[in-house]
Amino acid sequence: MVSNFGLFVVRRAINAAVTLVLLIALVFVLLHVLVPSPVAMARIITGNPRATPAILASIIKANDLDAPLYIQFYNYLIGILHGNFGTDTLYHVPELQEMQAYLPVTLELVVVGQIIGVLIGLYTGAIAAANRNRAPDYGMKALYLTTWSAPIFLVGFIMQLVVAYWLNLLPATGVVDPTLIPPPAVTGAPIIDALLAQNWVYFWSAVQHLILPAFAIAVIGFGLVTRLGRASMIDALDRDYVKLAYMKGLSKGKVVWGTAFRNAMIPIITLVALLFAFSVGGAVIIEDVFAYHGMGFFTVNAIYNDDYTAVLAFTVITGIAVIVANFVADILYAVADPRVRLT
Amino acid sequence: MARRPIRSSGQVALKTGSAAAETKDVKKGASFYLEYIRKDKPAFVGLLIIAAFMLFAIFEAIMQELANVIGQPDLGWMLLPTNPLALTFDLKLEPPSLADFPANILGTNFQGQSILSRVLYATPHDAAASVIVVGSAIVVGMFLGTAAGYYGGWVDEIMMRLTDAFLALPALVLAIAVAILIGGGFTALLYALMIIWWPTYARFFRAQALTLRNKAYVEASKLSGSNSFAILVKHIIPNSVDPIIAYATLDMGTVILTYAALAFLGIGVSSDYPEWGAESAAGLQFFPLQWWYSIMPGVVIAIVVVAFTLVGDRLQDLIGGRTTY
Repeated sequence: MVSNFGLFVVRRAINAAVTLVLLIALVFVLLHVLVPSPVAMARIITGNPRATPAILASIIKANDLDAPLYIQFYNYLIGILHGNFGTDTLYHVPELQEMQAYLPVTLELVVVGQIIGVLIGLYTGAIAAANRNRAPDYGMKALYLTTWSAPIFLVGFIMQLVVAYWLNLLPATGVVDPTLIPPPAVTGAPIIDALLAQNWVYFWSAVQHLILPAFAIAVIGFGLVTRLGRASMIDALDRDYVKLAYMKGLSKGKVVWGTAFRNAMIPIITLVALLFAFSVGGAVIIEDVFAYHGMGFFTVNAIYNDDYTAVLAFTVITGIAVIVANFVADILYAVADPRVRLT
Repeated sequence: MARRPIRSSGQVALKTGSAAAETKDVKKGASFYLEYIRKDKPAFVGLLIIAAFMLFAIFEAIMQELANVIGQPDLGWMLLPTNPLALTFDLKLEPPSLADFPANILGTNFQGQSILSRVLYATPHDAAASVIVVGSAIVVGMFLGTAAGYYGGWVDEIMMRLTDAFLALPALVLAIAVAILIGGGFTALLYALMIIWWPTYARFFRAQALTLRNKAYVEASKLSGSNSFAILVKHIIPNSVDPIIAYATLDMGTVILTYAALAFLGIGVSSDYPEWGAESAAGLQFFPLQWWYSIMPGVVIAIVVVAFTLVGDRLQDLIGGRTTY
């Protein structure tokens, strides 16, 4: 069984690697259609608008920009594996530098939002399944079909309007209160940095600013979890071991949450990875609406400024994150349910 | 002809609900689906909304095209309460009200234009995007996916890794990258969405082909000497289409959402034509005080997409409720 599992992991890893290379090839093609000439690329790298042809030529030489495409692709691929995502068209600094500032903020937002979304989804899904074809079931369905169909920015606007402006409970925009002095950047994620520096004022401000956008991300994603959770819960509730649990005299609550729920959880693992891609995409809009200065905000600004390399770097980063998430989910799924290893 | 006896004698067909349903109604046309949707009230309301949306979009598109051809711009807003492009600054930023019904029910924007008029004026783009993008995705996905599933081997392997690469990116992120590459404008945005939308359908049709290629009637057709292209066209594809319809209906809503999100970010938007997402984005600078400017276009999007979701959800019940996306 061990070798079987090892084989499974290796096969999935190869799949993930091939997908990654294809993804990078896709972006490479995009980049070369956008910036076809070596000179244009060299101008982006220097950042000096008055660079002489001699300087440009030396840059082209140093970066192999006039090499055949397959060599350039090889260099690009190796560069990305070393964390070299190209040079920003607008700021003329390596993209990596930009990402180190913005990516942790987004990851914090998406991870927190996703955890909230999955928890809500599991809860609502289990309630809907336990009350199949009765009022709570229909209520949940109406709720998630609506949130599912609402444009992401509308969700953000309504939360801002009601919670921040009418009820005055939470701040509407920003990552933290801008008057506070930030703690030293260790990870780049504001809440974790504040915790590490034990700066509680900053921590509290960051948490308050995180709640609304995180819930917005949770709202756009929880419907999928509810739906799948309900289906797999219904499946689990029909099994013999659940009937046995009832026969043993356990209460409905114990059967639903103790017995059926644990088995119904398994398919959710794959969904969480899928949802991650969805949330990162949604975060672009959410960050724009909430002026939350993360990767999405950076990308939107890049769009306004025609900063192609930044958009493509964001694309690659997102793709890598999603591929890794899918790979991890596949492995976790195989750990939770040994039957899938055979496929 | 050889199909019926093999099917009815096969025990496999009785195993699962969907397979049983498949044998029961081989010839279900549009009227069957209509009847099925009509039995569910929310889905029926959804269907009415979709019909109204599509019909209005078609008429509005015809009027706008006529206005262009004849050179009489007034024709373009003959169906609307007010001119969506005229500036009337004494009416600017009016809250939603029943005064001057129905022009003001969604309020007015900072140029005094009725938000309702502008939203209605933009319907052709959204309707066209939903139909064209999903339609093209079905066609492309059908050929690539069915071929991959039916032939298997390295064709399949390459196809699957390629779709993996596409699906690893959130639709919105990929659409942004491609749309920026192609350049602005509505048609460019359509191309961007068409380029990224097919992989899900390819996977869908592949899964169908994988299960169908081992069916007895396909074997029979093979034995009777049909070539593989004929088998694909005559047996595999017609039998795959059913489950796709439910997903495609849901997906048309998703296209509208993605299109709105792109327009919200200002991609593919032109200044002389309103877009649902762009209207909402324009309201951002007036946001907390004149909230209707941002929220009302979003509400309209939500209503239309909910309609697609309700109908798609109902159709999904028909095919057994389980979909792999």
